[in-house]
Amino acid sequence: MRGPTTTGFAELVAATNYSFLEGASHPSDIVGRAIELKLAGIGIADRNTVAGVVRAYDAFERAKKGLLGANLPPFDFKLVVGARLVFADGTPDIVAYPATRAGWGRLTRLLTLGNRRAEKGGCILGFDDLLMHLDEIMLIVMPETSARSVVALKGVELPKSNDPSLEATLATLRPKARRSVWLGVTMPHGGRDRRRQTRLARIAADARVPILATNDVRYAVADDRPLHDIVTCIREGSTIQRAGRQLGANGERHLKNPDEIAHLYRDRPHAIDETAKLLARIDFTLDDLKYEYPHEPVPAGWSPQSWLEHLAWQSAIDHYDGYVPDKLIASLRDEFALIEQCGYAYYFLTVHDVVRFARSVVPPILCQGRGSAANSVVCYVLGVTSVDPMKHDLLFSRFVSAERSEPPDIDIDFEHERREEVMQYIYRRYGRDRAAIAATVIHFRSRSTVREVGKALGFTEDVTQRLTSTVWGSFSNRFPERRFAETGFDVANPEIARLQDMVQRLLEFPRHLSQHVGGFVLTQGRLDEIVPIHNGAMEDRTFIEWDKDDIDCLGLMKVDILALGMLTCIRKSFDLMRDHGLGDHELKTIANDEHPDVYDMLCKGDSIGVFQVESRAQINMLPRLRPRKLYDLVVQVAIVRPGPIEGDMVHPYLRRRAKKELVVYPSPSPEHGPSDELEVLLGETYGVPLFQEQAMKLAIVAAKFTPDEANELRKSMATFRKVGGMNNFQAKLIGGMVARGYEAEFAERCFKQIEGFGSYGFPESHALSFARLVYVSSWIKCFHPAVFCCALLNSQPMGFYAPAQLVRDAVEHGVTVLPVDVNASMWDNSLSSPVRGGGSREAGWRGASANEPLVDALVTGCAIAAAPLPGRTFAAPPLHPPADGSPPRIGEDLRLGFRQVDGFREDWADTIVAACAVAPFASIEDLARRANLPQRAMNLLADADAFRSIAKERREALWDVRRTPPKQLALFAAADAPELAPEPDARLPAMPLSEAVAADYQTTRLSLKGHPMAFLRDRFAAEGILSSAQANATKDGRRAKVAGIVLVRQRPGKGNAIFVTIEDETGITNGLMWARDFEENRRAVMASRLMVLEGVIQRSEEGVTHLMTARVQDRSDMLRLLSEDHALDPPLARVDEVVRPVHTRSRDPRAVHPRDVRVLPKSRDFH
Amino acid sequence: MTRVTSIPRRYLALVFPWLPIERLRTERPHLFVGRADTPIAFVEQVSGGIRLKALDREAVRAGLTAGLTLADARARVPELDVHPYDSHADHAWLERLADGCQRYTPSVALDPPDGLILDIAGCVHEFEGERRLAADLEDRLARRGLLVRHAFGDTPDVARALARFAGAPAPDERRAVKRLPVAALELDDDATTALSRAGLKTVGDVMARPLSTIAARFGEAAAMMIRRLDGEVKGPITPRRIVPKIGVERRFAEPIARTDYALEVLGELAAEAAETLAERHEGGRRWEARLFRADGLVQRLRIETGTPTRDVALLMRLFRERIDGLADPLDPGFGYDLIRLDIALAERLDASQLKLEGGESQKGEVVQLLDQLATRLGRTRVRRFAARDSHIPEQAELMLPASDPVPTAPWIPPELGEPPLRPIYLFDPPQPIESMMAEVPDGPPHRFRWRRTVHEVARAEGPERIAGEWWRREDIPTRDYFRIEDRKGRRFWIFRHGLYSELESPRWYLHGVFA
Repeated sequence: MRGPTTTGFAELVAATNYSFLEGASHPSDIVGRAIELKLAGIGIADRNTVAGVVRAYDAFERAKKGLLGANLPPFDFKLVVGARLVFADGTPDIVAYPATRAGWGRLTRLLTLGNRRAEKGGCILGFDDLLMHLDEIMLIVMPETSARSVVALKGVELPKSNDPSLEATLATLRPKARRSVWLGVTMPHGGRDRRRQTRLARIAADARVPILATNDVRYAVADDRPLHDIVTCIREGSTIQRAGRQLGANGERHLKNPDEIAHLYRDRPHAIDETAKLLARIDFTLDDLKYEYPHEPVPAGWSPQSWLEHLAWQSAIDHYDGYVPDKLIASLRDEFALIEQCGYAYYFLTVHDVVRFARSVVPPILCQGRGSAANSVVCYVLGVTSVDPMKHDLLFSRFVSAERSEPPDIDIDFEHERREEVMQYIYRRYGRDRAAIAATVIHFRSRSTVREVGKALGFTEDVTQRLTSTVWGSFSNRFPERRFAETGFDVANPEIARLQDMVQRLLEFPRHLSQHVGGFVLTQGRLDEIVPIHNGAMEDRTFIEWDKDDIDCLGLMKVDILALGMLTCIRKSFDLMRDHGLGDHELKTIANDEHPDVYDMLCKGDSIGVFQVESRAQINMLPRLRPRKLYDLVVQVAIVRPGPIEGDMVHPYLRRRAKKELVVYPSPSPEHGPSDELEVLLGETYGVPLFQEQAMKLAIVAAKFTPDEANELRKSMATFRKVGGMNNFQAKLIGGMVARGYEAEFAERCFKQIEGFGSYGFPESHALSFARLVYVSSWIKCFHPAVFCCALLNSQPMGFYAPAQLVRDAVEHGVTVLPVDVNASMWDNSLSSPVRGGGSREAGWRGASANEPLVDALVTGCAIAAAPLPGRTFAAPPLHPPADGSPPRIGEDLRLGFRQVDGFREDWADTIVAACAVAPFASIEDLARRANLPQRAMNLLADADAFRSIAKERREALWDVRRTPPKQLALFAAADAPELAPEPDARLPAMPLSEAVAADYQTTRLSLKGHPMAFLRDRFAAEGILSSAQANATKDGRRAKVAGIVLVRQRPGKGNAIFVTIEDETGITNGLMWARDFEENRRAVMASRLMVLEGVIQRSEEGVTHLMTARVQDRSDMLRLLSEDHALDPPLARVDEVVRPVHTRSRDPRAVHPRDVRVLPKSRDFH
Repeated sequence: MTRVTSIPRRYLALVFPWLPIERLRTERPHLFVGRADTPIAFVEQVSGGIRLKALDREAVRAGLTAGLTLADARARVPELDVHPYDSHADHAWLERLADGCQRYTPSVALDPPDGLILDIAGCVHEFEGERRLAADLEDRLARRGLLVRHAFGDTPDVARALARFAGAPAPDERRAVKRLPVAALELDDDATTALSRAGLKTVGDVMARPLSTIAARFGEAAAMMIRRLDGEVKGPITPRRIVPKIGVERRFAEPIARTDYALEVLGELAAEAAETLAERHEGGRRWEARLFRADGLVQRLRIETGTPTRDVALLMRLFRERIDGLADPLDPGFGYDLIRLDIALAERLDASQLKLEGGESQKGEVVQLLDQLATRLGRTRVRRFAARDSHIPEQAELMLPASDPVPTAPWIPPELGEPPLRPIYLFDPPQPIESMMAEVPDGPPHRFRWRRTVHEVARAEGPERIAGEWWRREDIPTRDYFRIEDRKGRRFWIFRHGLYSELESPRWYLHGVFA
């Protein structure tokens, strides 16, 4: 037996879990293990992808700093990165490692070529493709192919090979890639390894290529074999019991130590030496990816820096009418210097170019920068961001710093309906080879993981369903034992224990790549020579293989082109106001107005539909915080967040703000620094750290972190990577603060808050950008409630509330809402369009003083209503005057559009509007003839009660439309004869109001005729059940029962409280139930549509009322009284968490639309 | 044309609202011991997940409804007990209920999934009236823990609608029908909603409108349904056909004493039975011939075929095989006075397609051979090999009775020019051997002792490493297999049970010998 080789062994064929469902270890584990085994190097090569190499690179960088495991890498340890090329034509796999930067570019272009042929996520390569991309790439030909079937894009032919045998492959390759080809020989313990080795060595000798020892690694350590088997089962859709020979016969595909390798290759030790030879040939590392920003936006003759400065000065002068304040001049100069030093001028110009485009199209697209870019005066004067950093004393260093070599990160929001235009502009301007969207790595999440692992282990769907159904949303990326216990399964049962173990190990695995929603990566040179590009699932989208973290790690530039529903809503509001003579507005003009009425409204907690502060938690906070200026809104936006709440910062802040508590600034011992070091930092927020910046600065000032460390701290919290250094940071922060004389308790609170920030951070600059939109949307709601409601409805889906709740809120603000009508409605909801036809039986739901048509409807309703509810008549009309009793504003009636009718189509609506423009419809037959709608459309219109202007009630109308076969009409129309013979009157009974309301809910999800609860009021009153209005007027501490229709149920965060909001004709009641009571009331809470809450009224000083609920009754059956057979299914708010627990989208921030993550963090408000 | 006075007909419709749970409780009572009030649901896998299909009373009381996803149901009622919905079993159960009802009338029709319709015209007198009959029926079912809803009617449709749909109470059937909800018209959901949106809530509301207006909107089918419920049109019931087992026999006035002749008769009976089978599109798999001797002795001949058959020649060949294989030859004694042939098991068999060039496919001949052998030697003694998809050598192949259809994994074809990796014969269990001087970590022994003989290893190849199936047990040792040739040229397949890193001193076994 031969001793260890002198040159050492490097494992050059290692797959990570980025070979999706094939590799079974994280790149960092592979790298860490290779270092631990003292290998000479490690080569990361995933299946047709380089998606995992940056993680490996990052792990190696961390290892050098001693942050990865206990071992430092050997001095000459080398990480080489490449890809394992798996061909669709039967050619054996070839592992490719670029030797130089140029070689890397060739490899990524080769992969791009393959990717662009395949459906999303696939890659189709032929051997001939490789032959065109050989230069400066080292190749290890593997003995066999591991190809599986692939799906090509339509019209793409799968590559074919004349002779995919190993001999032929080597023979073709050798002359074309001289001295760069090896034959990889494995020892899989298959029974005849040595004979196989001899055979391969002979083939290699014939082809005059050296053989190279490798273990074709799929996982880091031998213990990973079960995980690898499970992953194989998931891939093959099999179970572990059935998978049979699809699984490996043994667990040998782990990293082996040099001695073991030396033993296995004792007959041919030069195969081991070749690994070092190959390694020595490779000069390329990911450091070499020198990144260059696109040059486009700079006109000839200008340097980027001078052009940027020129643009900035120009806009500054325009902005300040020729007089630029000195302070601003100084700031601009400072920033320019830093930008020049870092070479970021191109970046700013690129972003400016995108924003300029959005504003230049007709009509312009609203946009606004957010995030840390708001710290930059340059961004402000260029119009990228809209918050004046001078006013708010924001620090540019938060955005760009010379010490941190991170590129700046600018996020820009665009109207959600028009973002695509901006994206296509970017593709047009920079070309598809230079612009692509970043990837998002989709990870295994608890729900899907339990299901998939359970299936692979052979559990029935029923068992895994039971396990997953106990997870409310799949919020956490952990699946704690408690969850298993809750389901009644015994964790000690070996099979369950195995499931749990596997789930735990698989949870952080990448599942596949998807595209980031809006993060564009732009380059001056070819992007596909930096990173491979994939086809997106959406047409016309391409994305790269690296995600945000990878891009950060390599210093690539990213511009986030995000979609924000509220911007769409605001733009639609501006359009409506312009069209209806309500003024020409802009974001800027409104935002600087600071009108007290707007703040009065917000102080009342009247914020349904308003950006960011419309959630239950925010509404409760408003009266306590009492915002009076923009900065208060900044605090408001940031305070109802996991960070401040978990750090217990909210109450101290409120008390101090209300001057109920002395503002004290904890200070260090005198010998350690000035006692006011925190006062400087936390002055704006009464000594309570609320913002991410403050928390970071706190770490720097009070615990003496370096800025780099503070940033590491934030990043290590934010990412889900196994950094392993969290405890170090905790000790360092708390230890550091205590050592400097701070109280331990204060230090711990600070740490907790930083922890909370990590995952859902809200920096001040970000909150500032948002606060402006909060103000603008509040302003519109305050002064033009009809406009606001109309724009919100037309921008759906967005926000928290269902249309019914938005309409109701508008009515409470004095808006008259008119129903859908064929003679008046358009596709969109619209403002004050009078009935085009001649009808008069308009029953709108008016908030103004009693209105005749409505009373009319109510009277008829009452008269007929006796039938479904024998022995009683209906109570008072289900409406209530506007809060301030002021008359409705002229010209602000809201006409519902056809888009509110479930299932109706826009093109039908357009035909109706076009035909109606010629002349109003006189009858249903007239409509059917002139608009030529399909039967389904006619049925929907009749069901939606949209024929009132032509004197047809819903019943008559639907009786008539069902008889009218539209296809025959053209013939009859030509003859101008009556279409159908007259029929005896069907004598349909009139529809009781309660049933009409139920039918409205069924067809349009809202009713303008009344609230369902109004019809049940007497019954509930007889039981001593209060209305919401009564409950909200009840004294603190009194017991109360309140009935209402369920709007939303949420169980936020830690799950110790359940929030239920119910609604009746007088308003809403907020119920709060502790988890211990929940179990007893589980059925009622989860299943009710109409519930009675019983508990104690609790009223805060600010007048926020909660019903501390101890018992819930399911009274959904009462809804049946409204109409025996119109099953009333009241709409829930969009954020209700119970309706579809299984289908609820993940709240894992990586898997959710960033609009949801960043703007509307649904249940997170309740943390 | 002659005028026929129509006899007034009466029908009784039955609905078993809890049929799935009642069936399960009866068939598998042990499942429910000590858990009387656990809510139970029957679930069905449909696209988009598992949904509740049927419920028991407790589950309904707990607020669950059919159609809910299992996950939603579990979220509300975590203790819910779930069983797969088995429509076949339920149908079979309904058949059994129908059997039971034949005590009241021979004419019972199934009304799946959970109802029966009984034609009781002229059957009531025994019970002194319909009510007594219904009470008797309810009693009997109640004693077995079954709940039934019933209704009478002049037409099956009326009885059925009244039993299935709850309407307001009414003094007579005609009025009761009118008070049924429009759902009783059993139109599609869209039409039902449209009717009730139009304010027509009951069957009576609809009947009050001119039929033409209904037909114009909801189609002729709707109008027809109204006429049927009105009694204007009488839909007949199709009573269930009870499929008797096939048994044919021949009696002889003079006992026949010749075996040949008895077999001839048996052949005729087989042909007769085959004809009946053909009508039913069935073939027999188990046949039993009984030869009744005049002195009272009965001789039984049983045969079984691998596939259902109606081939008389084949059957007779098998019967002859059976007779030849009898320990005691068939002895007619004083002669047989009755020969009977019963088909104990029949399965579906469609007319087989002939090949173009004539004759049935070849496969049939192998099957016939197997049947013949199995008949002669016994079912379990004719076996075949089946491949299974497993790395574990002793589990990769199985021997099964040839007649048992078992899906088999594909055999791995041997590699050309390579000696076989595994021997044909495996020891079960593997034989322990004593290994001497094995190389660590992964070498074969230089010598080993098996059955007191020491074998000097001349050549060896390996190891073939086969790891334990960790999902069965965590601590199954890995096996390292070696192909060994000793100095005398004998070839063995041995393995070390456990790696040196797994066990301190792993043991060696001989698992097989190569030919």
